[in-house]
Amino acid sequence: MRDISRTRTGWANRLEHWLPKLVLAPTTLAMIVCMYGFIVWTGALSLTKSGMLPQWEFVGFLQYDKLFANPRWDVALSNLVVFGILFIVISLIIGLFLAIFLDQKIRLEGAIRTIYLYPMAVSFVVTGTAWKWILNPGLGIEKLMRDLGFSDFEFRWLVEQDMAIYTIVIAAVWQSSGFVMAMFLAGLRGVDDSLIKAAHIDGANVWQTYWHVILPILRPVFFSAVVILSHIAIKSFDLVQALTGGGPGYASDLPANFMYTFAFNRAQMGIGAASAMIMLFGVLAVLVPYLYSELRGSQRD
Amino acid sequence: MTDLQRCMGRLSIYLLLFAFALLYLMPLYVMVTTSLKDIEEIRQGNLLALPNAPSLYAWIKAWGSACTGSECQGLAPFFFNSVRIVVPAVLISTFIGALNGYVLAKWRFKGSELLFGALLFGCFIPFQVILLPMARLLALLGLANTVTGLVLVHVIYGVAFTTLFFRNFYVSVPTELVKAAQLDGANFFQIFRHIFLPISVPIFTVTVIWQFTQIWNDFLFGVVYSGPGTQPITVALNNLVNTSVGGKEYNVDMAAALIAALPTLVVYVLAGKYFVRGLTAGAVKG
Amino acid sequence: MGSLTIANITKTFGKTEVLKGINIDIADGEFLILVGPSGCGKSTLMNAIAGLEEVTSGQLFLAGEDVTKLSPKDRDIAMVFQSYALYPTMNVGRNISFGLEMRGMPKDARDAIVQEVASLLQIDHLLDRKPSQLSGGQRQRVAMGRALARSPRVYLFDEPLSNLDAKLRVEMRTEIKKLHKRLGTTIVYVTHDQIEAMTLADRIAVMKDGQVQQLGTPNEIYDDPANQFVAGFMGSPPMNFIPCRVSATGELLVETSNQSLRLAIPQQSTLVGHGLQEVILGLRPEMLTEPKPEKTGEWIVPLTMHFDVTEPMGADTIAIGEWNGVEVLARLSPEAGLAAGQHTPIQVNLSKSVLFHPTTGERIR
Repeated sequence: MRDISRTRTGWANRLEHWLPKLVLAPTTLAMIVCMYGFIVWTGALSLTKSGMLPQWEFVGFLQYDKLFANPRWDVALSNLVVFGILFIVISLIIGLFLAIFLDQKIRLEGAIRTIYLYPMAVSFVVTGTAWKWILNPGLGIEKLMRDLGFSDFEFRWLVEQDMAIYTIVIAAVWQSSGFVMAMFLAGLRGVDDSLIKAAHIDGANVWQTYWHVILPILRPVFFSAVVILSHIAIKSFDLVQALTGGGPGYASDLPANFMYTFAFNRAQMGIGAASAMIMLFGVLAVLVPYLYSELRGSQRD
Repeated sequence: MTDLQRCMGRLSIYLLLFAFALLYLMPLYVMVTTSLKDIEEIRQGNLLALPNAPSLYAWIKAWGSACTGSECQGLAPFFFNSVRIVVPAVLISTFIGALNGYVLAKWRFKGSELLFGALLFGCFIPFQVILLPMARLLALLGLANTVTGLVLVHVIYGVAFTTLFFRNFYVSVPTELVKAAQLDGANFFQIFRHIFLPISVPIFTVTVIWQFTQIWNDFLFGVVYSGPGTQPITVALNNLVNTSVGGKEYNVDMAAALIAALPTLVVYVLAGKYFVRGLTAGAVKG
Repeated sequence: MGSLTIANITKTFGKTEVLKGINIDIADGEFLILVGPSGCGKSTLMNAIAGLEEVTSGQLFLAGEDVTKLSPKDRDIAMVFQSYALYPTMNVGRNISFGLEMRGMPKDARDAIVQEVASLLQIDHLLDRKPSQLSGGQRQRVAMGRALARSPRVYLFDEPLSNLDAKLRVEMRTEIKKLHKRLGTTIVYVTHDQIEAMTLADRIAVMKDGQVQQLGTPNEIYDDPANQFVAGFMGSPPMNFIPCRVSATGELLVETSNQSLRLAIPQQSTLVGHGLQEVILGLRPEMLTEPKPEKTGEWIVPLTMHFDVTEPMGADTIAIGEWNGVEVLARLSPEAGLAAGQHTPIQVNLSKSVLFHPTTGERIR
């Protein structure tokens, strides 16, 4: 009989038992400190009198009061609502329709999909730079339309207080709708063919089939898309910096830009921290109900 | 539905899809053509016109001598800054993510799922809440405004995603393979090396491409944690575009934007399907 | 050398007790089969023996040595998995020698063993192929080869034939039996297929709900079941269970479609002693046959029976009738000349009948 087993010593065995935990330890430490710990730190800072440097003198919700009394923050928040809703709704609509059309056994589907998705490969800064030029008041779209014969065409949104935020919507939709399309396309592909055949036999036409059978099945994809798009919207910083710089003035500011300006440029850490915490609560307000309903749904199954 | 109706229907679908394709391509077209024109032509002409006498002047200037704030060295040094940040950050975060994913998929212990959940949750926080304390930490470590500091930040916040990718991939490996290897006498690392690594090429590709794109395109961490001389190309691009010494040179701006976008675009064109897999993998888990 | 003693092993997962105190003594070279319905704990027990699961309490002895705390690789045990668990990126040769490689055996020695094992299992022409290029039966052999190469003291087989089609399963069953004869090593084998259990085992442990219901030779399990569960689990088609009232003198009262019978059985006096008024009569279908003039005896009772359904199986015909309101299967020869719906003459052999307690299902001897 061949006896070739090597018996391990006691300590080596115990090491093996702890190895999985040891491997995860650095990441766990980083997570505890750099995610959750930092959140607590920022939260605490938002309750202090900090200016250029942290000063640990607690002043309750003073910074939050100052924050919400700040007209610029008001603008940032309302911009976020406007931008967020438009961005999400338009991206969903475009993404859904493109996905539905692409699902019709199109030739060159691969090439078309590649074209729809390439904007996501590019930085928001690049996107902002490109659209800043395209929407340039004197030389961009306005000039193009005039050259094409529409001599009275005006397009100066980029420098108009009330319209600047909409330029951000345009650029953001251009960048992200392809991704929504990819999500819906994957969802559509996952719909069981036999359901569509059953609807056909039941006499439904194409539109009815989509409305009554297919779209309800895609509900989870809708929710995922909304969550992800909301997340992108709340975090939007790069695009604004590059496209409008928050301007004109601060007319197209978003919370992320506000936070950066006050925390790092204006040396008002307290308010910056408070604005960051508000952003966090915003994200949680979207995320927590979604996760809760997901968890409950899977438990029910 | 008659044949003609069906035909018209399909034709309109194709037209619509084609129109959107043009819409998506338009900015790229504009960027390229503008970067090849000279300033006079830009002022006289319009967005969609083709360049009369295409020249690489703007590109050369963008690369080597354009002004990004107080320096006028073009984008070249910042391109290489980005390279020096991206390469280690991608490699380290991918490697750590692979080991983490391996543990979470096949070596579960009490609390490991909770840990995974907490890690995943952390993916979703807006980074604004960690900007300030991380700045303090980097200063404490003596890494403020350094490339190493940026690499550290990208690794720390990238590991959550890379772990997600690998864990979801490794979960589908049959656990009986691990048991068989254990009986065969392989230890923790030997099982990883002989059984998991050889099948990991697809997920490595997805993860590396995803991380490369995310980190190369990052602006927030770049603008907060870098100093003059250590800025990544996205920050330099923004500076370049917003610095107008003399008149605005739109062609240089566009060339600069294209230079900044080129690496990730090239990766996308060559390996796009892996990029998409990365996108939808992250979305599916959400 | 390869004897295995399972001493009072329990295993709890969270709040569920999956193994409730298992005691089995396996002799060196014995072929022991663990059989039972899904969820009975047989795979958990197998994993515990291999060391892939830690036991909650109890001990495991291999050739007299306490191996309860040893890791799998130190127990000198090899396992063949239900899904074969072949390493997908390695070729057949490396799959077989991987365990030897991990133990530091030099390449020449490994190659020699791989050759030996491969020719024994007739897979030497497949050594360079990857698992994805093999058929199910070939993969199974490679899995066995991997176990054989290690020359362990005990082999564990976890439902190795479940993924094969019926014909292949029968072939491989014979192969495994031949292998056992040749190697003489202890084998612990898990299956849910009771035919496999009956044909391969030296002894069978029937498990249910984490406990061993009975441990015995195939014949003992078949003819002398410890309780109603074991009796009903082993044997295909399954044993008939007929609830009967007991007369004062220990005879069983049976109502068929056309007769009222008082059946005298071998355990009559014991039954009287127990004082039970009701009992469950266990009678295997092969005990209800067409009249066989050559088989007479004290316990052979001629009857006629009305059969509702017949299932011709080729070699036999299964006929389904009714006693005391429950379905009764009889195993008749195809020439028995029965027709559904008519009263057919049969004979019942009560010599091997078994009795079970009406509520506990325990065997009444």
